[in-house]
Amino acid sequence: MEIGLQSNLSRDLFHLDPRTKLAILITVGIIMMSGKYTGVEYVLRLICVAVPFLLLISIRLFRSAFIYVLLMYSTVLCEGFIIPHTKGMINLMIMIICGVISRFGPGYLCGWYVVKSTSVSEFITAMERMHFPNIITIPMSVMFRYFPTLKEDYSSIHDAMKMREIGKKIKNPFTYIEYILVPVMMSTVRIANDLSAASLSKGLGVNRTRTHICKIGLRFIDYILIISMVVMLVTFYVF
Amino acid sequence: MENKFSIKDLITVGVFTALYFVVTFIVACLGFIPVFMAFMPLIGPIFNGIPLMLYFSKIKHFGMITITSIIIAILMFLTGHPYPIFIFCIGAGLITEFVLRAGKYESIRNCVIGSATFSLWLLGMVIAFFFGFRDAYFASLVDGYGQAYVDKMMSLTPTWMFFAMIVMCLVGGTIGGLFGAKVLKKHFKKAGMA
Amino acid sequence: MIEFSNVTFKYNVTLSDGEKEDIYGIRDLNFSIGKGEFVVLTGGSGCGKTTFIRLINGLIPHFYNGELSGEISLDGKSIRDMSIFEISSKVGSVFQNPRSQFFNVNTTDEMAFAAENQRRDPEEINKRIKDIAVSMKIEKLLDRNIFELSGGEKQLVACAGIGVLSPEIIVLDEPSSNLDHHAINRLSEILSAWKSEGKTIIIAEHRLFYLGDLADRMIVMENGSVCNEFKREDLKNLSHEDTVKLGIRTLSLDSVSYDCKPGIGRSSNLIFSDFKFTYKKNRHSIDIPKLDIPEGCVTAIIGHNGAGKSTFARNICGLEKRCRGYIEYLDKRLGYKDRLHNCYMIMQDVNHQLFTESVEDEVMLSMTSDDMSEDDKRERAREILDKLDLSKYYETHPMALSGGQKQRVAIASGIASEKPIIVFDEPTSGLDLFHMEQVADVIKDLIRIGKNVFVITHDYEFILKCCDHIIHLENGTVKDSFNLDDGSICKIKEFMCEMSEVS
Repeated sequence: MEIGLQSNLSRDLFHLDPRTKLAILITVGIIMMSGKYTGVEYVLRLICVAVPFLLLISIRLFRSAFIYVLLMYSTVLCEGFIIPHTKGMINLMIMIICGVISRFGPGYLCGWYVVKSTSVSEFITAMERMHFPNIITIPMSVMFRYFPTLKEDYSSIHDAMKMREIGKKIKNPFTYIEYILVPVMMSTVRIANDLSAASLSKGLGVNRTRTHICKIGLRFIDYILIISMVVMLVTFYVF
Repeated sequence: MENKFSIKDLITVGVFTALYFVVTFIVACLGFIPVFMAFMPLIGPIFNGIPLMLYFSKIKHFGMITITSIIIAILMFLTGHPYPIFIFCIGAGLITEFVLRAGKYESIRNCVIGSATFSLWLLGMVIAFFFGFRDAYFASLVDGYGQAYVDKMMSLTPTWMFFAMIVMCLVGGTIGGLFGAKVLKKHFKKAGMA
Repeated sequence: MIEFSNVTFKYNVTLSDGEKEDIYGIRDLNFSIGKGEFVVLTGGSGCGKTTFIRLINGLIPHFYNGELSGEISLDGKSIRDMSIFEISSKVGSVFQNPRSQFFNVNTTDEMAFAAENQRRDPEEINKRIKDIAVSMKIEKLLDRNIFELSGGEKQLVACAGIGVLSPEIIVLDEPSSNLDHHAINRLSEILSAWKSEGKTIIIAEHRLFYLGDLADRMIVMENGSVCNEFKREDLKNLSHEDTVKLGIRTLSLDSVSYDCKPGIGRSSNLIFSDFKFTYKKNRHSIDIPKLDIPEGCVTAIIGHNGAGKSTFARNICGLEKRCRGYIEYLDKRLGYKDRLHNCYMIMQDVNHQLFTESVEDEVMLSMTSDDMSEDDKRERAREILDKLDLSKYYETHPMALSGGQKQRVAIASGIASEKPIIVFDEPTSGLDLFHMEQVADVIKDLIRIGKNVFVITHDYEFILKCCDHIIHLENGTVKDSFNLDDGSICKIKEFMCEMSEVS
């Protein structure tokens, strides 16, 4: 499982501004979490369900897109047609399963899309455009840079433990946690030190702005999408 | 306000927040096993106490914990958690900040208390099921799921559960903090790294 | 351009018992470096060359805590009066560890990083990145994930970042530590290009062979002061014997001597069969149907980056379940689980394999036998530690030791585990002459107590010091496997030269 954003991007069918993605994420989240199953809101839900599908297609994740769409439409149809006609335990079971998938599925898949389609530099540039201060953006860039290091460190510690046959000897789970976490934390302290030295010598400063080679900007498609998200939210609250 | 922070501080915030986030994420994966789900607020802070105590030992002035809590809130929000997560994260962050400051950023006892108070942000993830949020949430569910489902969910999440979770966070955070303090003394102080 | 007058620097260090101590970095240094000069700093570990570098790039006094006296000036301006930001526009730095000097995940972003911080125009930065990539021949490294690159490629990216910023002064702190010969050749090309552009270059380094032709001056340091200084003309006349006397690495690989050892002892063989393994992305895979290695010798594994050296080592140790191969050793057939039980690896980053709170416990952790009492184990552990020159440190936390000492603690745990096969992953990266020879001696001792040793290495001097057998890997297959003697040294030399040609 990859944690964190992408380091670089392959050719996508169309590329969205991170701010547009945020608008989509919020809209889909709100509508799916609290939308009703009747009238206009049901229509809005159906639209929201389609959004992650199109987004996944746009970054060529065809398989995920199709698995998702099969799962989603069957649950949404379940909620609309099967649930009103069943009773008792079966009804409850289907409801819980459908409930979890339909409420959280689209939101998570939008999140997955954001992770898969946004590079770290785009994300940070977008945050700075939205006037997040350096004291937030610098630690966040460091986080995205540190995740892969953490993964490398963990895997070599894991190898070392295997080789020293430590797993077999230790019965106490606390000791086991200690043996994994202590070397990781030692390396965290070291990295913090080295990275601070390196960043300072490259002129990174807390109170200074920087330029960005990463180009982000709202284009025609971004405006269209943001406007449609706003329209959906307004419709949702008015009706 | 920004002047106080050095690059070293911000990078320390970054790496430790990353570590904290990854540990939380791994424990949350355990949460897919239903039995663990209810005990997440207990288990998570126990694991997290260890890196958190090391992090606290690196903090020398006001504000770093708050930044950590804001970042956690942003990441949680982006992965689909509702907005009350901001209130809980930043609240827990500020409380912890004051606890640490009361100990002049040196007292081990205050760090352990801080580890307990910081873990309260986890409540932000479950708040949707309780209190005023719950009524609104369930009211919206009634239309879709029917009264039977809502009754069932309500019986699974009685209000006292919320208080039980507060207790679990605090207890877990304290155990983790104590364990972390031990590890800190045993390894990092001895190696000259804390 | 750079002036040091009466500079002394002491680090404030907090010891494990909470007491503060001052450690000298530099003592009473007077020195000046002119514009366009290429200065090499060398000397044993802890001689003060890194402190020297930090004084130039402003990390002292702006980052590391300590007591600074005397005056350092860049272009006539005292570094105390300059902010680190101001210094960073004039001085570019390359650090030792390629893993921890990056702020970004993407290579192009990293190349632009220093220039972005100086608020250069993005269009201009992009253009410079393209130009630099062409002139350094690293177009294929643009827009990549840094974590997928080798150590050498990472250092190239770091150099490209400096190229984009184009400062007047460039300092490098042991940049070649983690590099193979091919990457070192690339590095030396870049250095020579910078030199011809008129940059002032100061480089702290142990491995000197690639700097002989570039250096205008070489400074040998000891205990924080300059103990020897050589001009360009003098460097040419410095023989291998002279460098050994000075305690520094050789300036020319040709002059390294090989003192031929008595033939390899035992007659039986280690037989590798069916070592096949592929990673998902099909990189670094290996395919070794059959390979015989004489038992009881030090085997060096050499090859280009990506030839599969590390993969081979991981498979020897049984760290990859999917590898179906086996080793025949003393009439036993070792599958991957048995190998896990019979092999021990000293990793390149030993920090990842030390777990306990004292050196003694660390060694005892490896003693798995249930028959031994706690006291017996302790006694045995101390016995091993004494042999490795660690008797002063029984109670010390392993992480409080120096790099070389940590490595020996890891070796001690390997000996304690009683495993017959010990694998080293680049044990001499970043070591000075003294420590390199120390490792070589320890490895020879391992053979004497009946171990089989495999060493992944790029270090020619080290190979000649202690290896008996060579496996040359290429594209995951064994290109050559031979015993090292006077006749076969040329094959290794050929390999090193071939590396130069590739670049």
